[in-house]
Amino acid sequence: MSIQTSRRALLAAAALAAPAIWGRDAVAQIRRGDELTVGIWGGAQERITRQFCATPLERQHGVKINYVLGGTPERRARAYAERGRPSFDLLYLNIFESRQAVKDGVTMASSANVPNFANLYDIAKIGGYAVAFNPVTIVYDRRKVAAPMTSWRDFWRDDLKGKVIWPTYPGAQGTSALLMAAKVWGGSESNIDPAFTNIARLRPFAAIQGSQDQLYGMFDQDVGAASVEFGSFTRKYAETRNPNIVIADPTEGQAIATNVACITTGTRNQALAEAFVNLHLSPECQAAYAEEIYYSPTIKNVSFAPELAAKLILGEAAVNKLVDFNWDLVIANQPRWSSRFTREIAG
Amino acid sequence: MNSSPRAGWLALPYGLWLLAAFAAPLGAVALLSVQESSEMFAPLSLLPSGAQYAELLGDRFYVRVFLNTIWLGLGVAAASTFLAYPLALWLTRLPPRWKPVGFAVVLVPLLTNVVVRSLGIILLLAPRGIVSGIGQFFGLPPSNLLFGWFAVGLALTQVFLPYMVLALYDVLDGQDKRLEEAAAGLGAGPAMRFLRVILPLSLPGLRAGLTVTFLMASTAYVSATLVGGRKVWVSGMVVLKEGMEILNYPLAAALAMMMLGASVVVTILIGRAIGFLTPWVTGRAPRFRLSLPPGLRRPLVAVAEAAAPVVSRFLLALAIGVLIFPLLLVAVASVNDSPQATVAQFVGFTWKWYGMVLQNERYLSDAWVSVKLALACVAISLAIALPASFALVRAGFRGREVLGAALMLPLALPGIAIGLGMLRLLQWFTALPPFMGVLAVHVVLVAPFMLALLRASVAGLDRTLEEAASGLGAPPARVFRKVILPQLGPGIAVACVIGFLLSFGEVTVTAFLTTARLQTLPVRIYAESTFSLENTVNAISTIFILMTVAMLILVNRFMPLDRVWKR
Repeated sequence: MSIQTSRRALLAAAALAAPAIWGRDAVAQIRRGDELTVGIWGGAQERITRQFCATPLERQHGVKINYVLGGTPERRARAYAERGRPSFDLLYLNIFESRQAVKDGVTMASSANVPNFANLYDIAKIGGYAVAFNPVTIVYDRRKVAAPMTSWRDFWRDDLKGKVIWPTYPGAQGTSALLMAAKVWGGSESNIDPAFTNIARLRPFAAIQGSQDQLYGMFDQDVGAASVEFGSFTRKYAETRNPNIVIADPTEGQAIATNVACITTGTRNQALAEAFVNLHLSPECQAAYAEEIYYSPTIKNVSFAPELAAKLILGEAAVNKLVDFNWDLVIANQPRWSSRFTREIAG
Repeated sequence: MNSSPRAGWLALPYGLWLLAAFAAPLGAVALLSVQESSEMFAPLSLLPSGAQYAELLGDRFYVRVFLNTIWLGLGVAAASTFLAYPLALWLTRLPPRWKPVGFAVVLVPLLTNVVVRSLGIILLLAPRGIVSGIGQFFGLPPSNLLFGWFAVGLALTQVFLPYMVLALYDVLDGQDKRLEEAAAGLGAGPAMRFLRVILPLSLPGLRAGLTVTFLMASTAYVSATLVGGRKVWVSGMVVLKEGMEILNYPLAAALAMMMLGASVVVTILIGRAIGFLTPWVTGRAPRFRLSLPPGLRRPLVAVAEAAAPVVSRFLLALAIGVLIFPLLLVAVASVNDSPQATVAQFVGFTWKWYGMVLQNERYLSDAWVSVKLALACVAISLAIALPASFALVRAGFRGREVLGAALMLPLALPGIAIGLGMLRLLQWFTALPPFMGVLAVHVVLVAPFMLALLRASVAGLDRTLEEAASGLGAPPARVFRKVILPQLGPGIAVACVIGFLLSFGEVTVTAFLTTARLQTLPVRIYAESTFSLENTVNAISTIFILMTVAMLILVNRFMPLDRVWKR
């Protein structure tokens, strides 16, 4: 009897499910032996996603997850060159690169196909699936400033003359620095002049930095006093290597920055890619990122011990306090601003 | 065989390889450079437009960057020359047993990661760094030499010096020692012997060294980015920025083509200048002779002779210091218990980075891919570059210099531009088996170096020996095996070592070609460094350096690095 019922139930379920399965095309199913190609950074990023995303999928579905490690420029350039017939199924970009890629038809917008999509903060749903908040803020060496830095305007203080390490443009840090400078000097994305004029006033710079690692090397060697950098990993640096470094929380706010998982347009493994992203957005994976490199979660359903929570951006209020910009304008102006930056600020 | 035009055909395999694997990306870059629209997804137009070139030439910033880059390349080539001569002479005079170690010292910078090397330069030149410290000890104010042309020049000289040394080594080692003895017997001191005998006879090697160091220095951009602090702008950085960040391929391509043009011109000029200074190679009479009035000459010679021992020792010490400084940093950092690679402070001793490398099968499998790739690359490059070097030395046709420059073209195009060109061809490229595809490109990148080095070695061959062997009835194959090959042994060994290291370490172009099925170790390291560099990198470098010493000892066994019979 019970066998009868369950068989009938099974048949009914199959009958109900059949249109749904046939209705979705092949890309929407995970099949044994499928291979997913993921473009991502090396180091901690590779380790954590292998542990929490790749290995569980490989065990559960008998699929293979291939990593293509590299820097964002190569990854992004390749995705653009292969638009419509991608060799990547999934790649990781920053906040404005991901939005531009969706506009350019290189990657797809996010959708509720990923179950954890429902837990994302609204701002993490644009341009793909933001997997980490990694805000950009002021970082400085406490021994080299006359008073703590509490505002983006503090870069223009007399005691910092010649000691500022400015971030290069167009990187995530340089973009935030430029836009925050515009903001505190009465400009905006649509009126960038105040930023350039005032940043030029900071010259001569102690140096111009192009990456977090480079900045840490400069701090190690006393090259300068303050810069603009991701707070997350800089905290790791301060805790393990250089206790004199302070991660400031300026009154105007920290500038938003995210790492975004982007599924390529035309991928043949969409369902598998979505399953990968879903695991990346799981509370366990998000917690691992927070514990290892202080990346803040983009999902709402995760909690932390108070000590760790104090170092993260948690909750709607804190996320909304991050300074956001009109990224369409930022993207549209990038070539012009880049050219100006090279000539007026660096160069 | 003397200057036969038929020998030109020996360059054919090399030329065909370039056509198959390099003409396509070069063509793509050339086509991109004549597009009128900078729009990323604009369809390619076959109607050439000079718009990109006009924009570059009309912008004083680009013109300045372009000229500065050429000056930087020339400066680095000149600095390498001064440091390389004492070092190469020291290397030729080392007892055979110590040769492998001497070579290892020279090769250290090629075996250490560029980021780590740059950290070393920062440590040296920073306000709190070593140079500034020494200056302050002598009462000078604290100096910041970092983030300027000097730092970039030093960083580039450090990494390109080995090429210059090895280019000179073989021609210096092959010199007839009796000439120097004769000069000494006639009363010439060390300075005059160097200036009038050793230097002129080594000019073919200097040509190879100057060409290679100039081309590499003028297309390099990573060191300039890391130690130039973005205050220094070189063409490669602009190509990277416009091409990779702004996605303005046409402008980047046009700048790359301009660099290519300038490099070809400089390569030809270097060839012409050396040809002018070595009239005996082609049997011409010297066009001019430098002579000073006796009243001026005598004191000058006296001063030179007095200064020579001091200057040469100072330069030798400086060169060795520049080369092995990174080794100290790398070895110390590889056992530093700090989560991020740093050279600033020693946190504690640990073997864990070695453990992470040796237990992680991903590192090992990537390293194995790199080794296979490098071995195959060296074998093919040698097979095509050796005949081509005979063609360039022995064929007596017009336009030999132009052919020589053409065969060096892959070196003249910045790696990043080759990457841009490959991007356009990715769909065809990915149809190839991954190993073959990357191998084809690696040969293109490595063969020019081997050609430059082998060309100098072939030019140094003693032809009378071949004539004697032929006259005694030896068939050409036997002459090649019994007479030519033994003389070329050290040159071939050096070229192969360089070729191996180049392919093994290549990352700029390979990063674009890496697929899920083929990943090399340097690309893995690069990917890690884009997030944060860990000390595993230094453990890997230390292991490489030890393995290189072992490899050199082995090579020295089977293919001696010097010509014992000449002693």
